Amino acid sequence: MIQIESESSTKNGTRIVYVSKDNVLPFLKEKKEEGFDTLLMVSGVDYKDHLEVIYHLLSSTNNSRLIVKAKTDDEVESVTSLWKGANWHERETWDLVGIKFKNHPNLTRILLAEGWVGHPLRKNYPMEKKQFVNLAEDGEDRVSFENTEGY
Amino acid sequence: MEDKIIEVNFGPQHPSTHGVLRIKVKLDGEIIVEAQPIIGYLHRNAEKLAEMGAYPKGMVYIDRLDYVAALNMELGHVLSIENLMDVQVPERALWIRILMVELNRIASHLIWLGTHGLDMGMLTPFFYCFRERERILRIFDEITGSRLLYNYFAIGGVYSDVTPKSIEMIKEWTEDFVDKLEEIQAILGKSYIYVSRTRGVGKLSPEDVLSYGVTGPMQRASGIKRDLRKDSPYLFYEKINFEIPTRTEGDVYARFLVRVEEMRQSARIVKQVLEKLPQGDFYNKKYSKPMLVRLKATGESYVPTESPKGEFGIYLIGDGSSIPYRVRIRSPSFANLSSIPTMLKGYKIADLTAAVSSADPVFGEVDR
Repeated sequence: MIQIESESSTKNGTRIVYVSKDNVLPFLKEKKEEGFDTLLMVSGVDYKDHLEVIYHLLSSTNNSRLIVKAKTDDEVESVTSLWKGANWHERETWDLVGIKFKNHPNLTRILLAEGWVGHPLRKNYPMEKKQFVNLAEDGEDRVSFENTEGY
Repeated sequence: MEDKIIEVNFGPQHPSTHGVLRIKVKLDGEIIVEAQPIIGYLHRNAEKLAEMGAYPKGMVYIDRLDYVAALNMELGHVLSIENLMDVQVPERALWIRILMVELNRIASHLIWLGTHGLDMGMLTPFFYCFRERERILRIFDEITGSRLLYNYFAIGGVYSDVTPKSIEMIKEWTEDFVDKLEEIQAILGKSYIYVSRTRGVGKLSPEDVLSYGVTGPMQRASGIKRDLRKDSPYLFYEKINFEIPTRTEGDVYARFLVRVEEMRQSARIVKQVLEKLPQGDFYNKKYSKPMLVRLKATGESYVPTESPKGEFGIYLIGDGSSIPYRVRIRSPSFANLSSIPTMLKGYKIADLTAAVSSADPVFGEVDR
């Protein structure tokens, strides 16, 4: 059994457990073996002094739900070895929140263009600074702060 | 001739990508060796936008996620907020919500059926489907005042009541919709070309479905009987009789059959709602419109709902102010689309459009 740091629940009674960031992968593996066979989403929250990574689990056989959270500075272990669907969700979390996932097969930006500066869902992201994207000759996206160099 | 792998770009500007999907396909002859979907062309970060204003203001962005089923998106948002703030909703409003959501589910599936037929080279079902959808949109126009993006569900109820004229319109529609649906299904399902192009194509095993987090009709077509309207009932779904259609083949044809059957079940639900619709208020008078933006909340809430594409829900974190601290959208199309590499591998390039359109991706929701 892996140590749970603390526990709470959402307004409609879904259990939320906190684990330490080193225990994320073993804890989720244990939960998967207990019957939580679906990973609904991976997300991250910026609490200004630390980041939090959140996993929503669902057991499709007995319909129970579990939310697993871990405080992190900027890096956690990837869970793509457990669920194939984690691949895109982790890429999105890296793209928008800026949490790195160790041992991820292809940790690149998914929604924004490669080369984008900053992670938009961080609370200190400069909203007034616009970035422009253009398609270069080699078929990859280029990002620039000059409005003449993109759309 | 030597063996050579060719890389082909499919999209982002292609009529059968249902939006702006780009797939990098590696081909060995006409067999797909590897398919890599590239998304993000319609990204506008609805999560950040919803975190910038008061709780009800997020609704206009949530509307624009899955723009062909905007009411289903609104439902997920409004249920999550009401759960977070412990808002009581009058019974009549809840029944109206079921009515609207099921009508919108049919409208969404009709668009899918029409465009899917178009992808398979059949133009006729497209016109038939849009004719039927037009009647639903006229009903929405009568009730909400708009045809595509409604902003109709409010915290504590709905914005306007169902009028007697619209009830007449819905009754008239329920009378012959199922017959019309039979007609549309026959055009595709009895066509030798359609069936031979879809049967055994784009297969997903139940293990892959769970591993990718695929939900909704795609999951039910692979033999996993799950529907949140039955499994964790919200609104009044436990008081309504309907069945969950499932198939075990997991191919494109099975998804077609599941979605068509779902439309029949939704029409059944609409009929039952019309019988059960109680009299009373259509919104909670405690939550008058000007004070909605001043509502404050703390805690966390996630209410899963069954949208036409699968499990949709909004995970809200409140920090005690009137602006949500974090809004996270669980979008079903995003997870469904991530299974494309498995769905396409080993099939021929001609099967690509069939498999991609069977996932029913709507890019407002995939890219958010």
